Amino acid sequence: MAKRIIVVDDAPIIRLMIKDILTECGGYEVVAEGSTGKEACELYKQHKPDLVTMDIVMPEMDGIQALEEILKGDPNAKIVMVTAIDQREALMKAVRLGATDYIVKPFEAERVMSAVQKALGEETKK
Amino acid sequence: MPDKEIDRALKLVANLAIDKASQVLSKMVKAGARIDVENVALVDITEATEKIMRTEEGEVVGAFVDLIGDMPFKFLFYVDAQDSLTLTDLILRRELGTSKKFDLYVTSSVQELGNILASAVTNVFATDFQIKMRPSPPRVVHDYTSTVFGEYIMEAAADQNEILMIESQFKVVRMNIKCRMFLLPQGDAQKELSTLLGKV
Repeated sequence: MAKRIIVVDDAPIIRLMIKDILTECGGYEVVAEGSTGKEACELYKQHKPDLVTMDIVMPEMDGIQALEEILKGDPNAKIVMVTAIDQREALMKAVRLGATDYIVKPFEAERVMSAVQKALGEETKK
Repeated sequence: MPDKEIDRALKLVANLAIDKASQVLSKMVKAGARIDVENVALVDITEATEKIMRTEEGEVVGAFVDLIGDMPFKFLFYVDAQDSLTLTDLILRRELGTSKKFDLYVTSSVQELGNILASAVTNVFATDFQIKMRPSPPRVVHDYTSTVFGEYIMEAAADQNEILMIESQFKVVRMNIKCRMFLLPQGDAQKELSTLLGKV
């Protein structure tokens, strides 16, 4: 059965890139997309996905707040943070709070897949 | 430190920032990108605007980013409107020519390029000079070059006649895509930057 993933980023192009990478790799279904931290929390409750990819800088509620909120409701949630190069402090905070892994933009497909597979406890697909 | 030395140090900062931006751009468009620092100088605002209006015509799509923090700057990235379609195809690994209109994805590509390039610049300031800055969410504009540049420079320099401008042009190899990137210090940033570089 395909692993169910929610992609959250305020940039539609990044959502599309991540979705394309997951679809091309096979075995993953993007069940929902969100563009704010608030949407991420709502979508998580609604879909109970296997994994969330979450941007850090977003309007309304940022990715760090959304991470905290989701982990409060489900401490086993698998959340991979996505961020630009300069957000080192925010990334460290996210990892301390319980983010499973992180991806730095601009990213390559291999890095996205490696983070997703590691977070889901899967072996790296060749 | 004499002014000449500060100029040299400033060019070094600009080169470091541009090098980093060049690396991330190459990675993002999956093609070689070369960025050249064209000019780092104190320029007269009227002259700079006239030069842009004289030398560049046509529509561009650009991203304004405020770099906020210890040393605020205004960042502008823009690309010829038609070339923004090609950049979108490159980023999405689509066949070139797939993007035909200025849709959500083209706007988002330019916005994200602005965000990532601005982040590369702030990263250099943070890593090499311990200056904390972060980019605000980019604002995308689609208009004539003169309008975009005019808005940018007026926002940045409402109460000044002269401004320190870091100007660069970069090319995506084999695609002949030309983009431009500008950095303008805000408020006391210009003075603080000179002081900082004077100590280097």
